[in-house]
Amino acid sequence: MLYIILSIFFPVFAGIFLLAGKDMRNRKSLLLTVSLVLIVTTVLTILAITLMGGEMITLFNLTDRLPILFRVDELSVVFSVMVLTVSVCTGVFSFEYMKHEEKEKRYYGFFLIVLGVLLALCFSGNLITFYLFFELLTISSVPLVIHNRSREAVMAGLKYLFYSLCGAYLCLFGLYFIEQYGNTLTFSAGGVISNTAAAEHQGILLGIAFVMLIGFGVKAGMLPMHAWLPTAHPVAPAPASALLSAVIVKAGILGIIRIVYYIFGASFLRGTWVQSVWMILTLLTVFMGSMLAYREPVMKKRLAYSTVSQLSYILFGLSVMEGDSVTGGLLHVLCHSFIKAALFLCVGAVIYQTGRTKAKELRGIGKEMPMLMWCYTIVSLGLIGIPPTGGFISKWYLATGALSSGIPVFSWLGPAILLISALLTAGYLLPVALDGFFPGESFDYTSVEKKEPSAFMMAPVLILTILSVLMGLFPGHIVEYLSQIIEKIV
Amino acid sequence: MGTNLFSNYGEAVSMILFGIGFGNLLLQSNLIKKIIGLNIMDTAIYLFLAEKGYIAGRVAPIVTDGVQSVEAYINPIPSGLVLTGIVVSVSVSALMLSITIRLYQRYQTLNLDEISIRLKKEGL
Amino acid sequence: MELVQNFPAVSILLCLFAGIISSGLKKKAARWINTALILAEIVLNACTLGYLLETGESYVYVMGKFPAPWGNEIRAGVLEALTALFFCVIMLLSLEGGRKKLADEVEEGKTYLYYVLADLLLSSLLALVYTNDLFTAYVFVEINTIAACGLIMIRQNGRTIEAAARYMIMSLLGSGLLLMGICMLYDLTGHLLMSNIKEQVEILYASGEYKIPLLVTIALISVGLSIKSALFPFHAWLPDAYGYSTVSSAAILSSLVSKGYIFLLIKIIYRVIGFPIFYNSRIIDMLFIFGLMGMVFGSLSAIKENDVRRMIAFSSVAQIGYIYMGIGMGTQAGMSASIFHVLSHAATKSLLFIAAIGLTDVSDGSRKFRHLTGAAYRNKWAGAAFTVGALSMVGVPLFSGFISKLLFAQAAVQNEIKMLPALIVLGISTILNAIYFMKTVIRIYTPVGGNRYDTVTFKDMKSYVAMLICFIALNVILGVSSQPVTDLIEQGLAMFS
Repeated sequence: MLYIILSIFFPVFAGIFLLAGKDMRNRKSLLLTVSLVLIVTTVLTILAITLMGGEMITLFNLTDRLPILFRVDELSVVFSVMVLTVSVCTGVFSFEYMKHEEKEKRYYGFFLIVLGVLLALCFSGNLITFYLFFELLTISSVPLVIHNRSREAVMAGLKYLFYSLCGAYLCLFGLYFIEQYGNTLTFSAGGVISNTAAAEHQGILLGIAFVMLIGFGVKAGMLPMHAWLPTAHPVAPAPASALLSAVIVKAGILGIIRIVYYIFGASFLRGTWVQSVWMILTLLTVFMGSMLAYREPVMKKRLAYSTVSQLSYILFGLSVMEGDSVTGGLLHVLCHSFIKAALFLCVGAVIYQTGRTKAKELRGIGKEMPMLMWCYTIVSLGLIGIPPTGGFISKWYLATGALSSGIPVFSWLGPAILLISALLTAGYLLPVALDGFFPGESFDYTSVEKKEPSAFMMAPVLILTILSVLMGLFPGHIVEYLSQIIEKIV
Repeated sequence: MGTNLFSNYGEAVSMILFGIGFGNLLLQSNLIKKIIGLNIMDTAIYLFLAEKGYIAGRVAPIVTDGVQSVEAYINPIPSGLVLTGIVVSVSVSALMLSITIRLYQRYQTLNLDEISIRLKKEGL
Repeated sequence: MELVQNFPAVSILLCLFAGIISSGLKKKAARWINTALILAEIVLNACTLGYLLETGESYVYVMGKFPAPWGNEIRAGVLEALTALFFCVIMLLSLEGGRKKLADEVEEGKTYLYYVLADLLLSSLLALVYTNDLFTAYVFVEINTIAACGLIMIRQNGRTIEAAARYMIMSLLGSGLLLMGICMLYDLTGHLLMSNIKEQVEILYASGEYKIPLLVTIALISVGLSIKSALFPFHAWLPDAYGYSTVSSAAILSSLVSKGYIFLLIKIIYRVIGFPIFYNSRIIDMLFIFGLMGMVFGSLSAIKENDVRRMIAFSSVAQIGYIYMGIGMGTQAGMSASIFHVLSHAATKSLLFIAAIGLTDVSDGSRKFRHLTGAAYRNKWAGAAFTVGALSMVGVPLFSGFISKLLFAQAAVQNEIKMLPALIVLGISTILNAIYFMKTVIRIYTPVGGNRYDTVTFKDMKSYVAMLICFIALNVILGVSSQPVTDLIEQGLAMFS
């Protein structure tokens, strides 16, 4: 009981104290504090997920029927591990990166609050708790987006805020109805809508399910509410972009998993118009995201578009509602967060060392920072889905799941679009690596100097790269663990 | 309908007066005319009350000649209400007039719309 | 009769006497009398509330020796006591929070008048809440109007006097209609006491006689009171009155005065006309529709506004729309949601006004958005408080605004016909709210180059900060543990009928 509450509120309060407190004497003590908080949070979370066996913990009652409650289930474990790994890595990366940004204290303060809120989202036991922290996540992550307070950043932050709030209200809209028609708001595998309610109010419930999908889909960058993502992610400092693109968007995914599989139930939605429209939207997003990424010259923006497309891979897997495809989706949640975080950190390191932001300017970069670019290349291969990286495994499951689902048209259209998108992914990621390592005849080799980033920046990138490769080499345990979830919900 | 209207002509008149007063208070832009409208409106209500309280053939409820029978007098409550209402409307009219004087001293006009336009120009 | 039962009457009279006494005493005394008075009121009303909760029954207090149906009565129930208590608390916090500004904006020799007016206002509010007699209600409505007009005008500049004139005109239209309605009710039923009228109205309604006059009466009273409480489209006076008067006045007007009228309307609906008759009269649908329109148009005007005080004022229009939407829903749940919103909006809106003044003060007194840039860094407490108020208005969980939205939505789901319009407009209005409040929050937290304005620290404004903290606490308490409050409201509504 204590550990869950602590693991959520310790970083939040630490963040608030950092924000409210006086400036630290020097940078070192600030960094020490932050790393201490990160370590303690990690320990607390590990204790929480190992010691807690699925019991409900009610923090307090918002109203009689709406308790704020937490619970650790297998899905929470998967997401919280992902959140922690990526947050710690980006946190360490920022120790060096944030040197050249102002107002570090504020950055770390909100960083820690976001971490706590993300953990709370993972551990939320019912929809109202989830909604509460979903709103808080938006509000606490806006300061990360608008960190440098340029006009562009503030406008992007506003855009992010409005899209997210609109999305959240769509969810709230649904919450009212679920409270009316469902037995409870508590997440339980297989759904909470009773059979009689499902039969009587099928039309309105399907409408609500769709509205909530769109609502949470805002955070996950799903068409038609994706436009904020490519605007907001690139303007943040690189480690914050990594956090946004790799982890915060996953809150939307988690929300969709929770409502589809834990509130409505797969059996209720399977075969309805909601599923079809959802699949169409995800496939469109996959394709469109890759196309836009392919045409985008600025690296960070390109990666943001890539996030749009990759998130919809996950959503496609979820929308098929078959064992293998959902496994693939969940695997891709892990893969994509490691890979996308690593990519953003790589690009951030390049910006930090050289100030170059566009893909074209990165010619010959492999000569200047070979180790970093090797990591970049490996994770790129992972995102494209080339064995033996993790991306291959997740996409394999996605494709086989879709093919065996037997849904007309989509069972072959889905994998086909995934394949096309994989080619596009190769098209927008690999040329940078190729040009980086083989700049060609005309390149001026004399001007090359070693600019390899420091250990603080290199280590997180390496760890994330290794993790993404390990997932591809030894997927057995993870898939086994995920199958426990799948059994219950599909 | 027609006969009802005719036999209750006092109420009908008071309603028409109420409408006139209400319209004046709402639509006139001159502050003094607004206040006149206010007074017409309030007076119409008192007329209505008095008309309702009056019973033909009886006298005001002041005991004279030792007649104690209820049958002899009209209903006193509406009269009481009218008195209270008059006090209220007098004080409200006084307040409105004082506001009008203030505004006139500042802007040399009684037209509320014009005052609004002047205020916008002042940019306060 | 127990001693506690005298408290409601005592609290009304105490305010009246305090007002009279402090206008005669030395000028400095008025302030202390006022503070002591409100504290005493809080104690009195809290005792009443406690007593009522203990006995679980409402009671009627006869003024003088004349029993019904001739005498004048006061009625105390849980809801009345709760509202009165809450009004007193908000009044205290608003006055204290705007104290410094009051001294700056009002002429030295006139501040004591402000407290006299505040005393009178409180007495009329309490009387509106407690009275059981319609004509008494009318008289105190007028006293309320006059006192409120004084509160607007006490800061002397062209804008406030014009606003006061407009406020008076709209109010007088409203009270004219109300008085006409009351007279017609008296005419129809022959009574002025609420409970007696209700009996007669029920008999009349059952017999089917005088259908149209009854309908007209209900319409007159509802429209009159909704004009007075600034329901859209009768809100033209509101932005100027709230935007330019001194800050305590704005807070009191927006959170108490208009809410007093709304409370009276709810009381009339339940205790005079009877909920079923009101429900069948179709006037309720009008209130519903105007409420919905207010929610949207109020927010739209707020978005266009370039002045932070006027923006908050327009937001009040939207929030009053919420309350009327709840009343118009025609369910018990909708009504209790409205009453909860009366409380939650009172706590939030006065917080916003008080916080906004802290922000404008550190921006050379300008209320334009471009000057407010970075104001939250210059006055950290006001910035944080404004953010809390904005989040509450937007409807983020943990704050009171979320609970009222939740209650509204839960009520809406119960009414099949009004469900969709209510929920959709609720959604639209929430998003519009988010647009202008979040815009402001980001604006005040955007740093500005150079140090053009002063910064204030905690030491300069201890009591101001204390009031802000009280307001924030009130908001969070209403947001986190709303259940006891909603239980009280339901209990009070049950006592009404």
